[in-house]
Amino acid sequence: MSHLGERVSALVDGELNHHERDRALSHLAFCADCRAEVDAVRALKSRLRSLDGPAMPTDLTMSLLRMAEPGGPLPPRERPFPASRTFGGAPIPSMYSVAPPDNRPRSRVQGPRRPRRAGYVAVGVASAAVAIGTLFVVGGADSNPRVVPPVDMFANQHRNTAPYGGSATPTFSPTP
Amino acid sequence: MIRLPATIILVAVMLLGLVTGGTAHAVRTSHAIPPDEAENEDTGLHLLREAAVAGRAREYSGTQYVMVWGASGSTSAVLEVHNVPGKGMTVRTEPSGSVQSADPGTPAGGMSSPSETMLEVLARNYRVVAAGEGHACGRPARLVNVLRGDGTVAARYWIDKAAGPVLRRELMDARGRVVNVGAFVDLALDPVIKGVVPTVPPSATGGLDLVEMPRLLAAGWRIPRALPGRLELFAARSAPAGYLYLGYSDGLSVVSVFVQPGVLDEDHLQGWHAEWRSGHTIWIRGPVGQEMIWASGGHVYTVFADAPADMVDTAVAALPHEHVPDLWTRLGRGASRLLSWVNPFG
Repeated sequence: MSHLGERVSALVDGELNHHERDRALSHLAFCADCRAEVDAVRALKSRLRSLDGPAMPTDLTMSLLRMAEPGGPLPPRERPFPASRTFGGAPIPSMYSVAPPDNRPRSRVQGPRRPRRAGYVAVGVASAAVAIGTLFVVGGADSNPRVVPPVDMFANQHRNTAPYGGSATPTFSPTP
Repeated sequence: MIRLPATIILVAVMLLGLVTGGTAHAVRTSHAIPPDEAENEDTGLHLLREAAVAGRAREYSGTQYVMVWGASGSTSAVLEVHNVPGKGMTVRTEPSGSVQSADPGTPAGGMSSPSETMLEVLARNYRVVAAGEGHACGRPARLVNVLRGDGTVAARYWIDKAAGPVLRRELMDARGRVVNVGAFVDLALDPVIKGVVPTVPPSATGGLDLVEMPRLLAAGWRIPRALPGRLELFAARSAPAGYLYLGYSDGLSVVSVFVQPGVLDEDHLQGWHAEWRSGHTIWIRGPVGQEMIWASGGHVYTVFADAPADMVDTAVAALPHEHVPDLWTRLGRGASRLLSWVNPFG
């Protein structure tokens, strides 16, 4: 009898019928290799059963909770290609069948809802302030040139102009 | 026969009565002056005219003290004045020591020799009456009062009795307070040469300087012909430097307005302080309120004055003052400008 091979796992799992199990056990009585393999498989399965189930990822939980918001869950994503394509009976993984890695910042997905709303309000207020400030600055800017009156020249002209003195152009002496 | 002489006698008596009555009325009109006409006569105008002539035609030198009062204080200056007929007047200001030539009809020359046109404006706006005699600068003088329509004194002159210039000049505001004084404290007057009559220099005749008015009005300038306080426009000129000069006077005071296109660069106003008046900012220099700057409607206004402070304030208030736009007006203007920038068809 050849070695047990793939039947080792079925033997350990108790999935062999009575006749197959008798033949396997008779083989194990004379084959040390197969006994060692059965022992290894049994130990591995025992180890796996002792392990806890995988924990639900928090981000996946939050995503599911968001889907429960008013408005109902998001519709299932329509795949452009049928997912039932198989090769040799086994399904072929497509580009949409594998979820993309979640690289979002943990703080965004783990934060409570109130700070998130406060953030939205802050962004809105800041945007409004920038818009109003822009309108305020643009509305106040004047295209006319900025001038500083030459007050010394004006004062000199005032002091040296005789009221009702006629159209003679007054002569100005330099202001010290 | 009997009735005819009686009729003739009656007619003769009536004619005699008419003649005598008419004569008496004529006598009354020629000798009895109504009180109102006597009060309205400018009895002091000829004294001011003679003093104005003397201020140009006689040689004199002296020390003059000038003081101006305002709402926030006063300023004063000491002037060394020397006038030489035909050469003009030189004024040395202490303590700065600056020396400049000045016309005695200008503010720099104390406005002691106004032109004939200015005297006409003075007589039109005020009543100029002789007010007796007195003394000033240790010299006998004739007094002349300039009265407003309500009888209050607007100015007072002491005129040298020896055919000399104005010895002292005072301006009063509407409340009767002295706000401007220019007085000689020392005067050396050359003796009058007998047989030589002072002549009025041509420039003393004076007149308006409004030749450019039609062109300025056609260019879009809105120039008020008068300002409150009986200030009348006597000069309007555009300068090559790009500003407009407007001169106003009531015959006593003078207000100069300079208008420049543009917006006021307030950051570079050194020595001026801002005051908030009726919704807009006015920049003022000095304590007597004779120098002001403000901006309105894309123009910058600069005012220099030799006038009572209340008159200056009233005149300045009558000039354009655009209120500072409120928040919503400014935001709306900003929005329209932004739209005009992004509008390809605008």
